Amino acid sequence: MIELNATLFAQILNFLILVAILRAVAYKPIMRILKAREDKIAESLNKADADAQKAEATLKGYQEQLAGARVKAQNIVDKAEKRAREDREASVLETRQEIEQMKKAAQAEIERERERAVEQMKSEVVALSIAAAGKIIAKNIDASESEKLIGEFIEKLDKNKIGDLPC
Amino acid sequence: MHEIGVREVVQVAGFSFNLETLYMTWIAMAIVILIAFLATRSLKLVPTGWQNAIEMVVTALNEQLDANMGKRGPMFAPLIITLFLFLLVSNWLGLIPLMSSPTNDLNTTLALALMIVVMLHVLGLYYRGWKYIKHFFEPIFPFVVINIIDEIAKPITLAFRLFGNILAGEILIIILLMLVPIWMPIPSVIWLAFSIFIGGVQAFIFTMLSMAYLAGAIHKDDE
Repeated sequence: MIELNATLFAQILNFLILVAILRAVAYKPIMRILKAREDKIAESLNKADADAQKAEATLKGYQEQLAGARVKAQNIVDKAEKRAREDREASVLETRQEIEQMKKAAQAEIERERERAVEQMKSEVVALSIAAAGKIIAKNIDASESEKLIGEFIEKLDKNKIGDLPC
Repeated sequence: MHEIGVREVVQVAGFSFNLETLYMTWIAMAIVILIAFLATRSLKLVPTGWQNAIEMVVTALNEQLDANMGKRGPMFAPLIITLFLFLLVSNWLGLIPLMSSPTNDLNTTLALALMIVVMLHVLGLYYRGWKYIKHFFEPIFPFVVINIIDEIAKPITLAFRLFGNILAGEILIIILLMLVPIWMPIPSVIWLAFSIFIGGVQAFIFTMLSMAYLAGAIHKDDE
């Protein structure tokens, strides 16, 4: 039942052949693909790291730019506000001056009008007085006395008053 | 009826060969090669299906070899993988009706065991030289007897463990079929399942022990 013979050597040979075949057919391709994948993964990881770093740098750059832009915009807004304020103040001042001028002009006009009215009144009063005097003279007073009366009447007229009325 | 242990022997050029063992060995080899070919036929960088399993096995074995043998480990990976696959297929081959395991012949198991042992001594001498011979006489000179018994026991235990397990499994299958009527197949089925388990375990044990022996012979001088 247990007998050893040349089969033993044949089996060693068979097995060694099998090892050689398997090594060529299966083991080497598997190791090659494993190595390839390992390389690929390492490469991918490196690339991912590099990408992440690059992205971070880019983000930082953008953030800096953004901060810069914000400061710039604030400056511009500040400047614009300042200028607007100045403009407004200037225009207010100008308007005020204009109003002042207009007021002055109006006052001058009023003054002028009043003077003219006074002049007119004076002449009318003279004419009226003369007419009144004429009527009185015609009744009972001689010429010399009437002239004296008229002169007194006119003297009583103040420069700024007509009769007793304020002007 | 299958006659246990009786083998057809042919004489070729003065040498006798067990024909059945050789045929079964070739069948097992063909199956192993077919499996390896199918498994590695379309390897892709992104693994799918079978490739995952194959890669997992190969990677796990390589890690074992690395841990046990150090930097020379990967060199033995094809040998160890082939050993395991061949033994597994061989052990299971005998469970198919009309087939028998190549490993139910002591010639096969002793051949593999002797090959491993010769290999480890040659490699030990090659890598460690004088120190390898010296380690047989350690810790003191009289231990040479125990050490040599140990070395001789290695191939014998390896060979007989596998041979005995597989032959016993096949014998019991045949006996069970004789003893139990055909309408009561449960014992046979249970024993068949157990034999599948035994086949896997024995293949694993043989491979692991071979690896450990090889590692012991070549690893120590790395320290």
